[in-house]
Amino acid sequence: MLKQAEKRLVITFHTTAGAMAMEKLCKKNAIPGRLVPVPRELTSDCGIAWSMAPADRAHLEPLLTGDSDISGVYELML
Amino acid sequence: MVKKKNWLAKNWLILLTGLIVGAAAVILSKLGNPGNMGFCIACFERDIAGALGLQRAANPAGEPILSYFRPEIVGIIFGSLIMAVGAKEFKGKGGSSPVIRFILGAVVMIGALVFLGCPLRMVIRIGGGDLNAVVGLAGFIVGILVGVVFLKCGFNLGRAHEQKKAEAGAFPAGLLLMFILCTVGVIGVVTTAGLEGAPGGARAPWYASIIAGLVVGAICQRSRFCMAGGIRDAVMFRDFGLIAGFGMVIVTVLVGNLILGNFKGFAMEGNPIAHTDGLWNFLGMVVVGWGSALLGGCPLRQLVLTGEGNSDSAITVCGMIVGAAFSHNFKMASNGMGTGENGHLGVYIGLGILVVVSLLFTFCKKKEN
Repeated sequence: MLKQAEKRLVITFHTTAGAMAMEKLCKKNAIPGRLVPVPRELTSDCGIAWSMAPADRAHLEPLLTGDSDISGVYELML
Repeated sequence: MVKKKNWLAKNWLILLTGLIVGAAAVILSKLGNPGNMGFCIACFERDIAGALGLQRAANPAGEPILSYFRPEIVGIIFGSLIMAVGAKEFKGKGGSSPVIRFILGAVVMIGALVFLGCPLRMVIRIGGGDLNAVVGLAGFIVGILVGVVFLKCGFNLGRAHEQKKAEAGAFPAGLLLMFILCTVGVIGVVTTAGLEGAPGGARAPWYASIIAGLVVGAICQRSRFCMAGGIRDAVMFRDFGLIAGFGMVIVTVLVGNLILGNFKGFAMEGNPIAHTDGLWNFLGMVVVGWGSALLGGCPLRQLVLTGEGNSDSAITVCGMIVGAAFSHNFKMASNGMGTGENGHLGVYIGLGILVVVSLLFTFCKKKEN
């Protein structure tokens, strides 16, 4: 089975709760995206990350506060 | 640029991990480890608790039956550690509710010893034809689903912080020291090799055990193999990569047992170190699944993370060893005849603790300053 890979903005968090909060925030503000397992190439942790289109980054950034729990932001082919 | 990604190309490592873990389990059983217990993190940590004198399970003659410093556990931690150092992934990290993790580790162990096995042994038992483990699998899945509901509602044990490498290496170093002292006979209790009716006396040669542990620890560090994570990913993300590793263990153990002539068909009765009390097999694994989901990984994964320098996982492993001692000292652990005298009570207490921890860490938020 072949799946189209595309460039995604992947946001990782210090805690699973941070990822859940990001999902809630994005849904509330109609920013499309989804939760994914943290890609192996980023970290050996088995946490949860938020994946979204890089083009939506500009919409997300003004919504982020200092306590958003983000540990990293990456652009990856997923 | 858009390119195509093949599922197999993405998940070959996890499939290889399942193959190696399954093969190692079959080989270790052939070399002397108990039946359908080539690898079992819960049982092996229980044997370590016995070796350190934390539990004194004995036969009527007073001889210890569950005491042996299992080299596989040391091997898994050091396999992961060596691989993590090589890949520059060895990082001191910890401080995320260590006391709660210790308690959850103990609770997971109590549930596992009611079922008689960790999630890894559960799939090894399925591959060996033990249908009681299928009941356990159903419980494990239910437990993880409950844990996932709390995760989705915001369950949070708090973030881990960077720590010194000395802190990260302290537990592996201490474990290695105790292993050496026990193996050369300076300290510790050991079950007589081959003692009848004593799982602690059934063992592969120590060098084979440690090599198998090192290989399994190393490949699990690279692939992130995790029984709880596999089900979480399948349920939450429809990502079946990790869970495929699960399936591969079952297939490998089944094929291995068929080749070695150990497979006697699928049955509820007559399986090695297993009981047929379905309700308690199910509920024991509910506790394991729920606790593992809250901890962010199954018992095997906790060992691998310990090797990567995660002191929260090291504390969880300590909790599991102490939980194993509690299980036997307070007669909560099962045996081949059925559940222990206080096994039901142990499961009720475990479920109670899981409910309280889940509610407290999901709905009681830290006060903002």
